[in-house]
Amino acid sequence: MDPQSTIILGKAIGAGLAMIGAAGGGIGIGLAVGGAVQAMGRNPDHTATIQVNMILGVAFAEAVAIYALVVSLIILFVLS
Amino acid sequence: MNSFWNGKRRFVALLMLLAGVFVALRVPPVIPFIQLPGENFPEGFNVPFTDIRLTNTFAGSVIVWILLLLFVIYVSRRRPKSGNEVPPGGFYNMFEALFEGLMGFVGGIAGGRHFRLIFNMFMTIFLVVLLANWMELVPGVDTVGFIHPHVKEKYDVDSGEYKVITTDGYEIYQGFLGISYVNGQCDWISPADEAAADEAALVEAKAAAAAAEQASIEDAAYARYQAAHGEHGEETDSTDASSDGHGDDAHSSESGESDAAAAAYDEVLAARVAAKQARADRSCYTGVGPVPWADDYVGDDKADKKKSIPLHPDPRGEEAKLVPWVVLPFVRVPSTDLNMTLSLALISFVMIQFIGFKALGIGYLTKFFNFGTLFKSPLGGIDVAVGLLELIGDFAKILSFGFRLLGNIFAGSILLFVMSFLVPILPWPFFILEFFVGVIQALVFALLTAIFMNLATVSHHHDDDHDHAEAH
Repeated sequence: MDPQSTIILGKAIGAGLAMIGAAGGGIGIGLAVGGAVQAMGRNPDHTATIQVNMILGVAFAEAVAIYALVVSLIILFVLS
Repeated sequence: MNSFWNGKRRFVALLMLLAGVFVALRVPPVIPFIQLPGENFPEGFNVPFTDIRLTNTFAGSVIVWILLLLFVIYVSRRRPKSGNEVPPGGFYNMFEALFEGLMGFVGGIAGGRHFRLIFNMFMTIFLVVLLANWMELVPGVDTVGFIHPHVKEKYDVDSGEYKVITTDGYEIYQGFLGISYVNGQCDWISPADEAAADEAALVEAKAAAAAAEQASIEDAAYARYQAAHGEHGEETDSTDASSDGHGDDAHSSESGESDAAAAAYDEVLAARVAAKQARADRSCYTGVGPVPWADDYVGDDKADKKKSIPLHPDPRGEEAKLVPWVVLPFVRVPSTDLNMTLSLALISFVMIQFIGFKALGIGYLTKFFNFGTLFKSPLGGIDVAVGLLELIGDFAKILSFGFRLLGNIFAGSILLFVMSFLVPILPWPFFILEFFVGVIQALVFALLTAIFMNLATVSHHHDDDHDHAEAH
């Protein structure tokens, strides 16, 4: 195997492994939205407040997944 | 205007759909070239009086600023000056609805003594990020630009120069209307055929070199040699043309000059074989635009490896196939550059601290350095640790803000590239998705700034809140 292929192989495996972190973000978003929808169903009057807090929580949970994404993007496109 | 367009819009949409189908069929789908840092513009687009090159993401943010300024001027001119005036409708009304809606939204979260400052900050960040995010939906952004040899440039701090690193070879494809596209068709010849043809070319080139050597010994028969070598040159040329399917006569002028030229020609051919074989199982880079200039690249890092590949070839010659050609977009989405997102995050961070000091005075620092309860209560040590954690958490906000926006929008634009490659006729559902992602990310960025600013104005000593409010 020539060195160039080895580098590409390593990059691909590393980027894929880095994206495992996105699973945590997915679980977090699922929990947050699930809770918010239940809360909205129980008291629809507070939908606006709940929605804002839900979006914030989703954004925070998503940030973790985005860190993983940024790491894998750096592995793919910046490392050479 | 309105009556003119009545009932015709659907035909415009149909026409654009047909145009999309035509372009998708006419221009072969190609994998885009993806680069994370903003691309440097070529020589001549420097920051005045310095060596620092401007980037295409910077051009994008300049467009955002200009658009924002135009909006500000427009809205402030159209705004009714007195309460009796009827507000104008249309485009202006959109801004009024937007401001009113968001004002109520932010008022519910951060409606307090500092609402005005927080809302100004919120709205500015929201509009800037929104415009920056939506740029990826504009046709031509990220796809139209300079076509140039693909070299990686890195700014070397020690020498103060841009160092050039070349990568492997791709080809340029002549399109219609004088517009070229890079690597329009990667697999126009099967790899096996190509390899076989290149082997033949290599043998031919070696024969030419051997003939040149032999001829150089026979000085007496120099004139005769010239005639014979001219024939040789023609032979290699014809096999070239049959081997790659492109008619080319780039070499006929080079051959038949001297011993050294023949040797160099041999070397070029060998390099061409290597480059072509390397290309056979690789993907392609793409883009559309004019081919502008002969670049003046110097300082090749891998000069030894790629000696025979010209750095600034004639785009229409045979040599052009030896170097990679990529598009440097005129404008790239500014939110895909870490410089833009991080500096916005820094501005947001500074404003959070500023409003904290403005609201609580020097007492704001007790949020971070909370030694007041260290000896008074048994849990004082925990307060100190919590304060230090808050300090670290505040700096982590910069990274979190910056990377969240960058990651979302960069991933979004890659999604658009890839989907345009996979389904060139129907990528627009993803454009709708990115439309919403742009809004949500702008809202999240601005909203988090507003919330953190609001949090900073609230003293964390809940029991002596009133003392603080009266003291300042």
